[in-house]
Amino acid sequence: MNRSHDPVWRFLAPSVLFVATFSLYPIIDSFRLSFYRMILTLPWLGQKFVGWQNYQDLLGDPVALQSLLTSLTFVAVTTPIEVLLGLAMAVVLNESFRGRGWLRAVMLVPWAIPTVVASQMWRFIFNDRYGLFNFIWFGDATDRYWAPLAEPGLALLSIMVADIWKTSSFAALIILAGLQAIPRELYEAASIDGAGAWQKFRHITFPLVKPALLLALLFRTIDALKVFDLVFVMTQGGPADTTNVLQFYGYKKSFAEGMIGYGSTIAVAVFSLSLIFSLVYIRLLGARLLGREKPA
Amino acid sequence: MRMKVPWVMLFFGLLVSQAAAQTQLRFVSWRSEAPAVWEQLIAGFEASHPQVKVVREVGPHSSTEFHDLVTQKLRNRDPQMDVFFMDVIWPGEFAAAGWALPLDEFFSTNRQKEFLRAPIEANRYDGRIFGVPLFVDAGMLYFRKDLLAKYQRPPPRTWPELVDSAKLILAQERDPYLTGYSAQFKQYEGLICNMMEFIMGNGAALWDEQQLKSALASGQATQAVRFVRDQIIRTISHRGVLAYQEPESLALFTQGKALFHRNWPYAWEVANDPQRSKVAGRVGVMPLPSFPGHKSVATLGGWQLGISRFSRHPRLAWQFVDYMTSHEAQKQIALATGRGPARAALYRDAEVLAKHPHFSARYETFVLAEPRPRTPVYLPLSNIMQRYFSSAIAIADSNIDQLARVASRDMDRVLDLLRERPRP
Repeated sequence: MNRSHDPVWRFLAPSVLFVATFSLYPIIDSFRLSFYRMILTLPWLGQKFVGWQNYQDLLGDPVALQSLLTSLTFVAVTTPIEVLLGLAMAVVLNESFRGRGWLRAVMLVPWAIPTVVASQMWRFIFNDRYGLFNFIWFGDATDRYWAPLAEPGLALLSIMVADIWKTSSFAALIILAGLQAIPRELYEAASIDGAGAWQKFRHITFPLVKPALLLALLFRTIDALKVFDLVFVMTQGGPADTTNVLQFYGYKKSFAEGMIGYGSTIAVAVFSLSLIFSLVYIRLLGARLLGREKPA
Repeated sequence: MRMKVPWVMLFFGLLVSQAAAQTQLRFVSWRSEAPAVWEQLIAGFEASHPQVKVVREVGPHSSTEFHDLVTQKLRNRDPQMDVFFMDVIWPGEFAAAGWALPLDEFFSTNRQKEFLRAPIEANRYDGRIFGVPLFVDAGMLYFRKDLLAKYQRPPPRTWPELVDSAKLILAQERDPYLTGYSAQFKQYEGLICNMMEFIMGNGAALWDEQQLKSALASGQATQAVRFVRDQIIRTISHRGVLAYQEPESLALFTQGKALFHRNWPYAWEVANDPQRSKVAGRVGVMPLPSFPGHKSVATLGGWQLGISRFSRHPRLAWQFVDYMTSHEAQKQIALATGRGPARAALYRDAEVLAKHPHFSARYETFVLAEPRPRTPVYLPLSNIMQRYFSSAIAIADSNIDQLARVASRDMDRVLDLLRERPRP
């Protein structure tokens, strides 16, 4: 049968077209632009092909390296905490108890709030004068109040706290789905064999939920690597550049400064990092998860 | 289903006839403090130009975010946008990029003379004019008259005097909420405005406009930065100011929790409004201090109206800009908002002076206000300087000389791009 007459392609065409237009084309164009020097506010420089120059500049740019370090620190701290908290939440929510449906809905609230709104809220919480954080911690001792967003040593930590609050429930959601796929019979059998709660978790729940855990870790890592809105609203990269994550630096170069070529190079760097992380995780996830999709 | 077709046709028919009858002018601005006056002025324009409908698009108040919005439209050559607000630091960039329409054809040199000189200069690039000043801003010092009187301290003329008064009053008042100096020290555009006032008030500069070189590493410039770190941040302010923009720093002052406060002229109205301020009537305002032996410097701020190069109705757009920046319109806006008008004559207008008696004293500050570097690469320079200033003052043992050298080198590298420009 002629492939082009296969109706499958006709059904696929809209989504292929959509992905090609809104994902594939921008990615390819970013790659192309990263080999040019193009500065919007200096049109007389034109669009000059500079080969690997932008990449060399990036490697020798101390601000970019600092930003990379900030981004990696952010990923290394937030993702394990988010996945562990998500696991704890998912295990609780997988039990049956009164008000479970209600609690599941409540748990998702932080994730459902738009990030910009949540960031603004955390900015208020961390305010040095009327913020809830200071009030809870120090009460009336106002002379001891902290200004977390003003301290080079605390600003990044504050953003991490906001991110953990915001996205742990997303990890919980994925892990909960994994938990629900575990057959009840296994637990029943274990009970008959006299296994306790910890043994059930250790020998049934954990091994079977591992793919979901890794999946949550993968999603969170990629998202954390691309963190932007929290920084944009809470600190604008400051103080002393301590929260200038790579994605925010790229945004400033491309959108504020109009340095399209160099900004694209940073975007490509973030993309490549995400890709590397994804490949590593997918290897870890193993053929088991992917293999299950194949027809027997 | 069939029945719908005539309706659709009718709808499009109406749309087309509407479009033929009326020209739409899209005006992108942020929301004014006195929206009613703006609505009224725009209605007045529409009444005198019945064929024109002004469509407003309201953007974010923050300069950086507003820049994102407007440049997004300009780089996409959006013909929808006709007239837009322009921060005083953008005309160079918008002119060089070919985004703003040169207005010389409409805005003659004689008419330019009706406006204050500093904002007109800020709108000029390569000998042509790219915007019409709407209102001007300049940094000013606000202070608590009552507290200075209580301790018999005069309004400070120099920065060391300000620090001494603050130290004395903070020690006597013993109020843990009270801070000596509230200003904008967050890492953002406002930080440049604040630091430039210290640096130029010490006889130094941010850059050398002739040589296209950074001037941040000069001894007098680093001395001023060191003063901010050691005498302001570490001594009389609390650390929170390192995260403050205008609203937070003003809130502290209007709550009666700051002795001195640096802000733009709009703060006068807010600080003296009993509805919004606990210190109404107890506020003094004066030019910013300088360092001994140097003159006081205020950073020039303010907003302009620009016309998009991609507008389909440049002539109508100009009529609108001309109307909004007319003597009468500027007077209405000045009366309602207290922002400094850009037309010189309004500083001698009896009605304006009756409402805002302090305007006559402000005239001098506005005339002498210093612009930030006028160059198409201002934003890259600003980001380098923001990083430098924030690192220098937020870290207690920062190596200021070293940081200044790095920032200068980075600035010079950006400024070198300008040398590649072919000379006409």
